[in-house]
Amino acid sequence: MTRAYGFAAGIVFLIASGAVALGQAPKKPAAAGEDVAATIAIMDHIWLDAAHNRDAGTLNWLFADDFVEVHPGGFIVNKQQQIEQIMDPQRTLNELHPEDIQVRYVSADVAVLTDTTTIKGTSGGVSYNGPQRVIRVFVKQHGRWRAAGAGIVRVAAQ
Amino acid sequence: MRRILVGALALILSFAPLAFGQTKSAVTPAGGEDWKALDHKWLDSERTGDLDYLEKFFADSYVLVLANGQSYTKKEWLGILRSADRPTLLVLDPENIQVHVFGNVAILTDHTTIKGHDSKGNSLDGEFNVFRVVIKQNGSWRATGVVMNQDLTKK
Repeated sequence: MTRAYGFAAGIVFLIASGAVALGQAPKKPAAAGEDVAATIAIMDHIWLDAAHNRDAGTLNWLFADDFVEVHPGGFIVNKQQQIEQIMDPQRTLNELHPEDIQVRYVSADVAVLTDTTTIKGTSGGVSYNGPQRVIRVFVKQHGRWRAAGAGIVRVAAQ
Repeated sequence: MRRILVGALALILSFAPLAFGQTKSAVTPAGGEDWKALDHKWLDSERTGDLDYLEKFFADSYVLVLANGQSYTKKEWLGILRSADRPTLLVLDPENIQVHVFGNVAILTDHTTIKGHDSKGNSLDGEFNVFRVVIKQNGSWRATGVVMNQDLTKK
């Protein structure tokens, strides 16, 4: 499974960095014709699939070094802590998938999206059971898109 | 002369590891930006109703997600702040501001204390850990996203 996601990640890397490989000016990494919104939507799925499958290699590849995430309850974690929580054998995760992905902002090197991620399970001592509203931030570093951070809050029952 | 040059080089090299080892997660300004002041100005403007500032400071892509998961666009949130039903905010104070700068985007996290009430008198008091996203557009930093979470980390 890890190999499969490594392959998927490699494909996205090729898409994201294709413009650079084709000789675009380094100061304009988001080349004309690059569909950033589509790339970022794919990255969102790779992120959650890697989390679901405990794929530390892909997460390490995806997360920027200064990655930060705020979880429901206000728990703040960095890259290492986030990956440790995902790899924690105590973690239970029965469901994890994003819906309603909306790319809110795109520039040459920044993308911000929102989604509603349904999570069922327990991670990092936090119990998840239902939809979570999420803002995810992506940055282009050295020619490829990486996850810079996310803010997640539980959607209260109506 | 050579001895001075060697000495200067040694001095530079001795500081280099410190420079490369610095974390970006600091309250101190990065790239000349005073992030603490930016965060305080943002929340002070919401508290005092400085809508002219917020209109400029919020990017068109701005989205606010409250601690109950309810989300508002820029237009929706400014509409609430302009309306007769706007909340009364007596305290809106960010502390422990941490910043993660990634070129043209920065993620701020802070602990925000809110004291106030809605137009019907219901209390809005609470302690929140907040995820804030600001982007650089035409040389200015503008807010593009907020996710609030009630702070349960001490319970």
